[in-house]
This record gives sequence, C-alpha cells and structure tokens, in this order.
Amino acid sequence: MKKLWREFIKGIWTENPIFFIVLGLCPTLAVSTSVNNAVGMGVAVIFVLVCSNVIISMMRNIIPDKIRIPCYIVVIASFVGIVEMAMKAYAPALDKALGVYVPLIVVNCIILGRAEAFASKNPVIASLIDGLGMGVGFFLALFVISAVREVLGSGKFAGFAIPVTFEPAAILVLAPGALLVLGLLMGGIRWIKSLRS
Amino acid sequence: MVRNDYFKYTLILAVICFVASALLGAVYSVTNPIILSQQALQEQSGLREVLPEAKSFEAVKEGENILYFTAFGPGENVLGYVFKASKKGYSSEIATLVGVDQAGVISRVKILSQNETPGLGTRIIEALWFQEQFRGKKSDNLSNGVQAITGATITSRAVISSINEKAKEIMERVHGR
Amino acid sequence: MADKYIVSSSPHFVGKESIPSIMWTVNIALLPAGIIGIAVFGKAGFWLVAACILTAMATEYVIQKGRRQPITVSDGSAFMTGLLLAFNLPAYCPLWVGAFGSFFAIAICKQAFGGLGRNIFNPALAGRAFLMAAWPKYLTVFNKPFVYDAVTQATPLGLLKEGKAHSVVDMGLTYWDLFLGNKSGCLGEVCIFALLLGGIYLLYKKIITWHIPISFILTVAVFTQIFKGDYLFNILSGGLVLGAVFMATDYVTSPITKIGQVIFGVLCGLLTSVIRIWGGYPEGVCYAILIANATVPLIDRFVKPRRYGVGI
Repeated sequence: MKKLWREFIKGIWTENPIFFIVLGLCPTLAVSTSVNNAVGMGVAVIFVLVCSNVIISMMRNIIPDKIRIPCYIVVIASFVGIVEMAMKAYAPALDKALGVYVPLIVVNCIILGRAEAFASKNPVIASLIDGLGMGVGFFLALFVISAVREVLGSGKFAGFAIPVTFEPAAILVLAPGALLVLGLLMGGIRWIKSLRS
Repeated sequence: MVRNDYFKYTLILAVICFVASALLGAVYSVTNPIILSQQALQEQSGLREVLPEAKSFEAVKEGENILYFTAFGPGENVLGYVFKASKKGYSSEIATLVGVDQAGVISRVKILSQNETPGLGTRIIEALWFQEQFRGKKSDNLSNGVQAITGATITSRAVISSINEKAKEIMERVHGR
Repeated sequence: MADKYIVSSSPHFVGKESIPSIMWTVNIALLPAGIIGIAVFGKAGFWLVAACILTAMATEYVIQKGRRQPITVSDGSAFMTGLLLAFNLPAYCPLWVGAFGSFFAIAICKQAFGGLGRNIFNPALAGRAFLMAAWPKYLTVFNKPFVYDAVTQATPLGLLKEGKAHSVVDMGLTYWDLFLGNKSGCLGEVCIFALLLGGIYLLYKKIITWHIPISFILTVAVFTQIFKGDYLFNILSGGLVLGAVFMATDYVTSPITKIGQVIFGVLCGLLTSVIRIWGGYPEGVCYAILIANATVPLIDRFVKPRRYGVGI
C-alpha cells in the first residue's frame, strides 16, 4: 500500500512531468493562458493517461515489442477521440477554447512516455496509480502556471475580473510570457527541491 | 518463421484497431446528434444577436457554402440579411457577423473570432463602442462614419473594410445591381 | 637585486582601457542627447531616466549580492543599460513601466545569461521589446515637443505608417526640425545632432569604429530610397541614429571582425527598412537589432580573422 502511495506522490512532486521530467510542454505553454482552459485540459489528460495506462498494462504481455508504438498510439488516440467527442457534445465552449490542443493530447509526450516507461512493464493497479499521479501532477503544474499568467497577464482569475491595483502585463498571455513564467517557476521549484535535499 | 511473426503482428494490430473503432463508433453515435443540435443552436443564437427582430433565417447556399442568410419577419416577409465578413487583420483572420435590413443599413455587428495583439488589437472587442458604432450605418458605404481604435489601425481597418466589401457583394447579389 | 627580477607571463604591457573607462565614456557621449531630449520634452524625461538607471543599478546589485558574486555595479554598464532604455521610451512613459523594463533588461537579459559579456541580446532593447509586448499602450503614445506637458502627437514615422502624411512637408516639418529634434519621438532619439556629436566623440576615443553605424545607416538610406523614396527623411527619423551609433555597436552583442561588423550593419539596415516599409510597426530598429544579435555567433563563426603567421 505504501508503495502505491509513493507511485502516486512521485507524479506530483519529485517527478512532476512538467517541472522535473519536462515533458508535455507544448500544451502547457499554449493552454495555460487561463485557469478554465488549464483545468479542462488537465482533466482531459488525467482521463486519457489513466485509461491508456490501464489498457496498455493489461495488454503488456500480448503486445509484441516490435509493434508496441503503433499499438500504444491506437489506444491513446481512441481515448482522445472519446474525450474530444464528449467535449464537443457536453462542453462545447471548452472545446472551442482548447481548439487543436485536444487532438494534440495524442502526441502529448507524458502519455506515450508513461506507457513506454511504466505501463508496459508494471501491473495494472500500479499503472493506474502512476497514471493518476502523473496526471494530477500535470494538472497542478498547469493550474499554477495558468493562475500566474491569467492574474498577472489579464487581471482575471477563472474568467472573473479581480480588482487588481496593477496594470496587467499583456506579454504574459502571449507565447514569450508562457516561456518566461514556465522558466521562472521551474527554476523556483527546483531551487526549493534542492533546499530540501 | 519471419512470415509467421508478421502475421502475428498484423493480427494483433488489426484486433486492437477493430476494438478501438467499435468503441469510437459507439461513442460517436451517442454524441453526434447532440453535437449537431448544439452547432445549429449556436448558429441560430448568433444570427439572432445581429438581427434581433427576425423570426427565422434561411441559408442561401452555393453548393456546400453558405453565402448569406435571409432573415424573415413574423409575417414571412423579408426583413433583411445576415452575412459573415472576414479579412486578415494584423496577426489573424478577423470574422464578423453582420445583420442588415433590406436596404443594407446595419442592425448590429458581432466580431466572431480574432487573434490580435492583446491590449492593442483586442481593443476592438474590449471597447464596446467600436462594434456599436456600426448600428444604423449603411453597410456598403462605411468610409467616414466609423472610427478606428487608436493604436489598432490595421485591426480596425480590417474589420471596417471587410464589412464594406462583403456588404457590397451581398447587396449586388440580392438586388441584382 | 633578486627583487628586481620579475617573472611573469604575458601580457607585459597593459593598456589604459578598462570596462569602467569604456562604459563611462559611452555614458558621457550619451549626455548631449539626453540633455537635449529633456530640454525638448520637459523634466518628465529626467525622472524617467533616473527611474530606469536607478532600477537597473539596484537590480544588478541585489542579484549579484544574492548570488554572492563580486558587485560590479560601479562599472557603468547597468547605468548605460538604464540610460539607453530610457532613451528608447516616450518621455511621458510612466516611471513604473520604465522600472519594470530596466528590471527585465538587467535581471533576465543580462544576469540570467551570466552577467556582462555573456548576454546574447542587447539588454536595453530587450527591455524595450518586453515593455512593448507587456504594456503596449504606454509605448505607442508619443508627445509633442516643446510643450512640457503630456500632449500627444504622432511621430513622423507613425504618421507615415498610418497613411496620414506622405512627406516631410505634409507633416509641417523641415529636415532641420528632424535633425535638431523639433519632432515627436522617444526621449533620446529625437536630436540627431546631439547623437552624432556623441558618436564622433566615441570615434575619436576609439571606443567604436565606423563600420557598423555607417553600414547600418547607408543600407537603410539605399533601401528606403529605392522602395519608398526620400532617404534623408528615413535617416533622420525614428531611432535609426541612436540604434546605429549606440546600440548596434555594443561589444558584447556585435561581431568581432570588421567584415563581420559590416555584415551585421547591413543586416540591421535591411531588417529595419523591411519593417518600416512593409511591417506592422512604424519603426523597426529595435527588433532589427535584436534579430541581428541572434545571428552574431553565426557571423563570427564564418568570418574568421586571418591567423597570424599563416599564409598570405
């Protein structure tokens, strides 16, 4: 049980996919302009990651090594397809806001990376927990980055204008601001980690 | 031996793909009707926003493309038209929905999509007066009555000229002039 | 007798130049443009310069202290970055905007890359580009000269880009106005005369050579004459002279060899002209120099100086 907890917690802190493993930066930079988008993307990624980890782990002895990548991609793409259709039907505003980044979850390196590094070699429950941990870690990182960018860049939080005394810096909702915030946060968090050890 | 391997690989991949497609097909059949009705609803609400007096709209198509919508009043009379004007602004294509009466006088405009510079070009959405100034103006003769946003000339001009040009095109089509 | 026998390796002659001496000489060369800029726009310009310089120096001090590095704030480079950033802003730009720009220029563009000598991009221009993206409305509003109040007036290049005027006469100006500074624009860019004075002083002191400024300005003149006409207007407008003399010539971010410098100057000129004529912005010097900065390692790699003693 303790082992499972450790698998879960590693995705959130010590091996956070964005700040430490540094994967999946493309949707991170693009989608973190507002908290709502970040939450939507985070939930979608958690769903796809958990489902694909579980299925791939279940089939890990059946899928031959030589064709593992196409098999993983088909599995992942199917789940992304389900998420996309569900979003278009039940949350069309979110789908419009996330745009092309929903189908791009298929090539999100975190998902393929965990399939290759973990799910293909570990039992189902562990893979599920790993997927959950990594997904939640991704979600939290995305949430923090988008909170900074939305508040400082447009004076809003989750779409609601907050009474700010400063003038929002538009650069933060643009691409260079994304890289700035990501870099500074990554530096800060790694520094905190180095202090603890 | 090798042929056996390839056969096994193909079989496994085929089975996985088959199961995946079956699953996707099932989800599609459930969600597609909802998606279509949503899209129709959004389209209708957009049209109504720019020509609120109209009771119903009918799309006028050329093949698969919708050229414009004819708007009908309560008594099945033609109230006006709704069309979409689109032009490249400073950094993106700006699409505007325009509702006009029979003579081409604008009822309302609504900027549908843009990706302009935040703080400068995006003021066309943030400053409400920009879209409101189009009300009551003649859509195919817009030159003097409308103002651009200071510091966002290219963006503003794209919107104004796209409406002007498209209006001329639609009025010609409709009135044959 | 033994203590008169000194053993050491080269260098055996040490020149008088040092980083502080070079930096402060450039700062002195910038004084005329600054004084006239303040005379044209009012004391708001002085406060802007002060805010930018103080923030730049304070930022460098805090960062170097925090990282336990030797404090080099008195070498004049942070002072120069702040001064040049202020010169590239409108005189009535809010002080906090200038301060943020200075902070970004020193903390991110200079110190995060490793301090003096290790930055890829010109810090003052990077600061200006950052401000342009962060708070564009403060950097696109320029002021009427000799009114000593925040009365807005479009710059000559701004009027040209908006199509509101097509020549010097249209704007109600003469070439002398453009040369002496009787026009709207950024604090330090308006008085071409003062900038040239500073440039000649730097040439005399052998701090800069003619290669970059001449090739930069000449390229802009030729290109704009061919595609737009009125090369004199184009040379005397905007931040061209300020950029060509003081910013493109920065040692750290420009090529080492003379031929490389000419290539760099031509590249800057081409980019400036293209942005001015066909781009979305009325002035292109800032972005032209920044883009050219990125190509400098490439230029240096391909334009190698002749090796001493090898071949003809």
